[in-house]
Amino acid sequence: MSISTPGGDQRRPSVVSTGKKPAAGAKPAAGAKPASGGKSAGAGRPGAGKGARKKIAPVKVSQGRSWGPIALFTAVGLLAAGIIGYGAWASFKGSRSWEERAAEISGIVNYRKQDPQLVQGGNHQQGPIQYTVLPPVAGPHNAAWQNCMGDVYDAPIASEHAVHSLEHGAVWVTYRPDLPKDQIDKLAEKVRGNEKTMLSPFDKLDKPISLQAWGYQLKVDNADDARIDEFIKTLRVNASVEGPTALCSQGITATGTTPRDLQQQ
Amino acid sequence: MTTSAQADPDTPRPSRPARRYGTLAVALAIVVGLLLGYAGGLLTPRLTRPGDASVEAGFARDMSSHHAQAVEMGLIAFRSSSDPAVRQLAVDIATGQQGEIGMMQSWLREWGLGPNRSGPPMAWMSDGAATMKDGLMPGMATPQELERLRTTQGRDHDVLFLELMIKHHLGGVHMVDAIVEHGAESEVIEAATRMKNTQQGELTNMNNLLARLKGAPASAEAPQPHHSN
Repeated sequence: MSISTPGGDQRRPSVVSTGKKPAAGAKPAAGAKPASGGKSAGAGRPGAGKGARKKIAPVKVSQGRSWGPIALFTAVGLLAAGIIGYGAWASFKGSRSWEERAAEISGIVNYRKQDPQLVQGGNHQQGPIQYTVLPPVAGPHNAAWQNCMGDVYDAPIASEHAVHSLEHGAVWVTYRPDLPKDQIDKLAEKVRGNEKTMLSPFDKLDKPISLQAWGYQLKVDNADDARIDEFIKTLRVNASVEGPTALCSQGITATGTTPRDLQQQ
Repeated sequence: MTTSAQADPDTPRPSRPARRYGTLAVALAIVVGLLLGYAGGLLTPRLTRPGDASVEAGFARDMSSHHAQAVEMGLIAFRSSSDPAVRQLAVDIATGQQGEIGMMQSWLREWGLGPNRSGPPMAWMSDGAATMKDGLMPGMATPQELERLRTTQGRDHDVLFLELMIKHHLGGVHMVDAIVEHGAESEVIEAATRMKNTQQGELTNMNNLLARLKGAPASAEAPQPHHSN
């Protein structure tokens, strides 16, 4: 109680003192007002003079309008057209899909167009499967996939497993067994450590090298062919039926062309 | 405009076409301005999002591949290990990192980029080429190590799994540090920081598990980079 009353006393003088200060400051402010009033009066004079200037001003402005604004608006218009044009071009180029880029690889065979039924998706099937396209690019396949974590297989693998890997977005690089070792090493370098790719020899291949993705195939003669990198860059993961999170691990890591059926319990 | 309209009777003819021309010019300016604004709005996100050669895109692509091997090893251990604590940790790492792969692949799609890089791996890191060993990113297991992981069993398998995964995580943390330092995309940096926290917690737990399997007393010390050797 005793504390609150001194507090109340302290507040009152402070209120009074602050009340005085603006009052003291108001005097110079009031003195400034006539000065501002003098400015507005001065501003009124040019306003009155406008009537005299008007006769000259429209003529000057109309002469300027014929070139100045036209040039300005033309420049702005061209700039706008340029920006809009660039935007349209950039969005067109940026939106070019991997399918369009794949179509530009010369020599690529698109089985998605040629045989839509084949590439619809894979039924799981036990035992050996006859494929019409060799090496196969799509179709029914074994329940187990071939491990495609950048695996380099030195012997032929079962197509029944490899096709399942293609469905998961892998690019399967195959070569004719008689391909020189330095060529094989170049292919292995592209595959090793690069998950969603795998390499294996393929018997009775009609060309030295053949690349497969789900629904796509490209056959080339040389490991130095730039289209190999282009094929991998365009179709790895993109060609997946099941999206980018389909597994390439937990697959069959053994070689041999006889499919290994998962044991049924 | 209103003051000039009042003055019109004084100057009859020349001002009227000029005034019409003026409103046309204003209308044109508004249309052009709106178009510019619209084009700017369309272009800004396109120009500010990470490009094909950005560190963010490099990180998303390479870390996806790096993670894929952690998923591979985690699922092998989940299937083969007989130690419940090892299996629990293994499946946690595998599913967690598989989820992060999906997140990173979604970034690339949102940025209008493909999942595949144009150049060699790790090119987005300044010392990237130096970190590569036999075509493998930092901390990654070799094909021979993976083959041993698939074929061993029991305690040997668990010890090998933990050693390989500790090495893998340390390499991963190295990559995360690089994107946190050089990246500009806040969403990427946030996610990378989360990855680092998760992997450092797992490193502590894996070191403790490894110490238990090797018969040493468990320690709560932070993992040392040299431990994997």
